[in-house]
Amino acid sequence: MSRFLFVVPPLTGHVNPTASVGGELLARGHDVAWVGHPATLAPLLPDNARILPAIDDDLEAEIRAKRERWLALRGMAVLKFFWEEFLIPLGHAMVPGVADAVRAFQPDVVVADQQALAGPVVAREAGLPWVTSASTSAELVNPLRTMPKVDAWVRDLLHDFAGGDIRFSERLVLVYSSKALVAGEFGDEVAFVGPALEHRVERSGFPWEWLVRGAGRDSAVAGRMGGGAAERSVLVSLGTLNGPAGERFLTQALEAVADLPVRAVVVGEPRPAPPNVLILPSVPQLALMPHLDAVVTHGGHNTVCEALAHGLPLVVAPIRDDQPTVAAQVVEAGAGVRLTYSRARAADIRSALESVLDEPEYAAAAERVRASFSEAGGAAAAADRLEKVVAG
Amino acid sequence: MDEVLQQVGKLITEVVGPDFLLGVEITRDTTFSDDLGLESIEFVALADKLNAHYGVDLVAFLADMDIDEIMAMSVGRLVDHITARV
Repeated sequence: MSRFLFVVPPLTGHVNPTASVGGELLARGHDVAWVGHPATLAPLLPDNARILPAIDDDLEAEIRAKRERWLALRGMAVLKFFWEEFLIPLGHAMVPGVADAVRAFQPDVVVADQQALAGPVVAREAGLPWVTSASTSAELVNPLRTMPKVDAWVRDLLHDFAGGDIRFSERLVLVYSSKALVAGEFGDEVAFVGPALEHRVERSGFPWEWLVRGAGRDSAVAGRMGGGAAERSVLVSLGTLNGPAGERFLTQALEAVADLPVRAVVVGEPRPAPPNVLILPSVPQLALMPHLDAVVTHGGHNTVCEALAHGLPLVVAPIRDDQPTVAAQVVEAGAGVRLTYSRARAADIRSALESVLDEPEYAAAAERVRASFSEAGGAAAAADRLEKVVAG
Repeated sequence: MDEVLQQVGKLITEVVGPDFLLGVEITRDTTFSDDLGLESIEFVALADKLNAHYGVDLVAFLADMDIDEIMAMSVGRLVDHITARV
């Protein structure tokens, strides 16, 4: 039995893979704890999970307010704000709480999310091994490689904070993807374990009867699709951080699906919608996947890999951060169509959806990625690698 | 130089789509980052068009800039670069 401490930022997409890997370690009888923002962590983790605080509610509210301002930015200003106003200050703010957690929990290994910079700093100070949980594969391919001065600026910030590039552990980097999506040569420490979906906790309810074939179907839509033809279902999930550009895209997406013979589950605040659309503020996304035929997304790494893990083709309209890189991976693999988030119109979204639903190559490519994920092993493979770190 | 400005404006319009430039007149002071909000894939498309039209390598041009220069990068600066090269 060993002790594993996960260090995570207050961001759902970064907690989710650790919930799965931590759940697997717990199932194997290890002791596991998470340190971060307790109110963000609690709903995503098992009921009996041990949660330690490194971010209080005031700081979390401050981070959320900052992200609101960040949403108004465009182009390179997004990257500058992300590092200077978010990642580095968050790293500093989390150091005391993470240090307390290390003293209280006495872990054998610290598993630090790539955006929880306090993890490696505290672990090194305490003489503990630390590993990286890369909740997106984008950093691995270094999106800044064509802008060496910007790349050097990021490295300088990391050097000032930690004396080195702590985005990557030299012992182990867990990547929740596979080489079917991520091109390149990597060292043995980089473990492509595929999406970690086992043991995940989803607390949102869902009106499953809505998805039952034929139910809630608009008769006009049914008529257009020739009576008894099986209706297909799609999910439109644009993440939680969207701003005004998100409103625009969502409006266009609603118009796009209104005329298609599909049922669409849309994640968003309630608003008027066509009869074949169900809008909910949150959905149990993983539980929904087996009932879907395609996913429209902004290209969040988790949503994209969850969809591909179910062999679903994608329409990806990336907004910022790692999303353009993730979208390019999907297109390169042949598993989806990419749209321009800030400019795609209803007609573009409709034709992209028709392509991924009707042209079998997309689903076939998504199926190839699914097989590669399945082979990668998921949470069990991640837990195997973590156990090896303890064994030395 | 005006001719280059006009041509660059035309290429940007082709990449972004005319609907999204309504009310935005492309001048020397227009910035790629803030004013045009060029997305990464649009940037690649514009680089291809500039290369085809002028033989200018936009990626190499940017590779020499730091983050503040890229943030402030304007149509005028690109036009000057092209004018100096062509």
